[in-house]
Amino acid sequence: MIELSHVSKRFDEETAVDDISLRVPKGKFCALVGTSGCGKSTTLRMINRLIEHSEGEIILDGQAIEVYDPVKLRRRIGYVIQHTGLFPHWNVARNIGLVPRLLKWSATEVQARVEELMDLLGLPVGEFAHKYPHQLSGGQAQRVGVARALAADPDILLMDEPFGALDPITREKLQDELARLQARLHKTVVFVTHDMDEALKLADHLVVMREGRIVQQGSPLALLQQPADPFVESMLGGLERGLKQAALTRVKDHMTSMGPTLPAQSRIPADFSLRQALSMMLRDHSDRLAVVDQHDVPIGELSLRRIIKEAQLDKGNARE
Amino acid sequence: MSLLDALPSPRLRWEGRHPNTVLVSLSLIMLAALWILDVVTMAPNRIVQGTGYGALEALGWPGAILASLLLSNLGLLAWQPSHRHYRALLATVIMLMTLMPVGLMASSYLLIDPELPQARLGLGAAYWVVLFVLLLCLIEIRLRLNLTRFWPTLLLCGVACVWWLCAAFWLDSLALVQEFNARDQQFVRAVGQHLRLVGIAVCISVVLGLVLAMLMRRYTRLQKGAFAVLNFLQTIPSLALFGLLLAPLAWLAANVPFLGQLGVSGIGTTPALIALIAYSLLPMVRNTYTALEEVSPDTLEAAKGMGMRAGQRFWQVRLPLAMPVLLEGVRITTVQAIGLTAVAALIGAGGLGTFIFQGLGQAAMDMVLLGALPILMLALVVDAGLGALAEALRPGGTR
Repeated sequence: MIELSHVSKRFDEETAVDDISLRVPKGKFCALVGTSGCGKSTTLRMINRLIEHSEGEIILDGQAIEVYDPVKLRRRIGYVIQHTGLFPHWNVARNIGLVPRLLKWSATEVQARVEELMDLLGLPVGEFAHKYPHQLSGGQAQRVGVARALAADPDILLMDEPFGALDPITREKLQDELARLQARLHKTVVFVTHDMDEALKLADHLVVMREGRIVQQGSPLALLQQPADPFVESMLGGLERGLKQAALTRVKDHMTSMGPTLPAQSRIPADFSLRQALSMMLRDHSDRLAVVDQHDVPIGELSLRRIIKEAQLDKGNARE
Repeated sequence: MSLLDALPSPRLRWEGRHPNTVLVSLSLIMLAALWILDVVTMAPNRIVQGTGYGALEALGWPGAILASLLLSNLGLLAWQPSHRHYRALLATVIMLMTLMPVGLMASSYLLIDPELPQARLGLGAAYWVVLFVLLLCLIEIRLRLNLTRFWPTLLLCGVACVWWLCAAFWLDSLALVQEFNARDQQFVRAVGQHLRLVGIAVCISVVLGLVLAMLMRRYTRLQKGAFAVLNFLQTIPSLALFGLLLAPLAWLAANVPFLGQLGVSGIGTTPALIALIAYSLLPMVRNTYTALEEVSPDTLEAAKGMGMRAGQRFWQVRLPLAMPVLLEGVRITTVQAIGLTAVAALIGAGGLGTFIFQGLGQAAMDMVLLGALPILMLALVVDAGLGALAEALRPGGTR
């Protein structure tokens, strides 16, 4: 668990982070979102003591971080940065094995762990272990970056705009993989990004920052339903907000049992989002879709009326 | 690669490739040099100015024709360059270089009168031009074939061995060989002195350079001042620096007995080393400093974030990544020191420069060559060796 209470950071006269309080429970994914220069990166780097905070308390697993030796602290926190920061003179296997070697694991343990991680991140060992960073594509390099951060199996993972420099398709693919990894590994993650869609997609807890302060925090759905002020609303995409909210909801949570007449041809898999369902309705000029399971067998249906009604219900729930 | 590969084959067809104009013009230059300039000079004794001889007289009909054929072959192969042709070009260039001392043997047989034991053969302008241009060809071919520096260097070493063998056994009449035979002991000693001076100066500059560069990184205010001083040192002419050191060192040697016992004196090794180090520091410090500073901040940030201690970050990340640029500094420093050490002969530090200044004094150009050629060779060898090392240490091995 990570807990920040009334934390500030001042560089000379300038206040980069101003009195923020934040709690990330164990196994949860927290995203810090904001425009550039809002202090989100600084906040992240205070957690592994790359920057020392000026005021307040940062508590990690029940102890203030000043108690830990900074070097040992960093070895038990995974860290991923935007431009990967891979060592260009080391091959992939050696890069991934860095922290285990710093922790003095035996050579066989390190090798086994490296192979396990390359497997986990979809990097075939035979093909990639001996490649150097400059021989990798951006996406492959950041996979190696994530593998390196996970190498010593840390409980906490700090990610500083890890996918910011990738093209949209690769970025989306890596986001999906990170979500898959997180569902399996349950790390406590603090993730910095300026991409709201990325944050909405991945986070359990969303923190919107502006000029060093936290403007609003809460679950993605709660923020979408009730943005605290126009800034958060604009961050959330203004008029697009409804669609973003729909993107967070699965079709299977809103489908009804099959009606008397089966809708003609449009079929949507149950684990797609309502946003995709809406898009399909627009495309096919239809207000009803058949919901199918992974074997393409119809298991229910979804109507436009139902989607709109559910949205009203959600809003009502959030108000209470 | 056989001789047949090197000769133009009748099966060649135009394949739409553009001629390599560089190699074609170089081969024309060499042909022109061969037929217009003197190939060798011959003098009845050491002092008299030699008379020049052209290709026909020096090499005889067969030799002149063979040389012209090989040189034209270079141009023909370069007219339709392909990978195969570049390999043939490489073979031809190496063959020409290997045959050069054989040509001298022919001249010695044709021109030297056995009645005149003092007679000596000098290399004519054509020889130097062809040798120089062949080296240029080699560079061009190396780039076209995408070879590392290693293979051409190895081939050149082979060629140098052949020259050495020819000079040692069959070229007694060559002026250079005569100069060497007259003072072979002295020559070996001079090479030793030269290498020792360069070695000590470079080692000390590398250590000092590293220390200075690290101090400059820690105390940023030091940086401007240090570079100003080093830049200033670089601008003092070397002879003037030796002169400036003469008086203070002589005084120190006379008044501080300890230093006197160490061998410090106004002339000789001490001022030579001090001057060499003073000149070596600027390139060394500049390269070391830039090399260490240029390491990507992202990489270092990651190293810190992963939990590497300061020492680990320096030795495992910063230094290895700085190594290629740092070695570049060592290379520049060493090559520069090899040249400068020649001047140190003037203040009695010994080394190959001794022959240059003695030769200049006696108007014996062959003796000057005896000093200058090995200096050139040393510089080339060090340049190639350290260059290859820097190349091998590039991050990732392949870049």
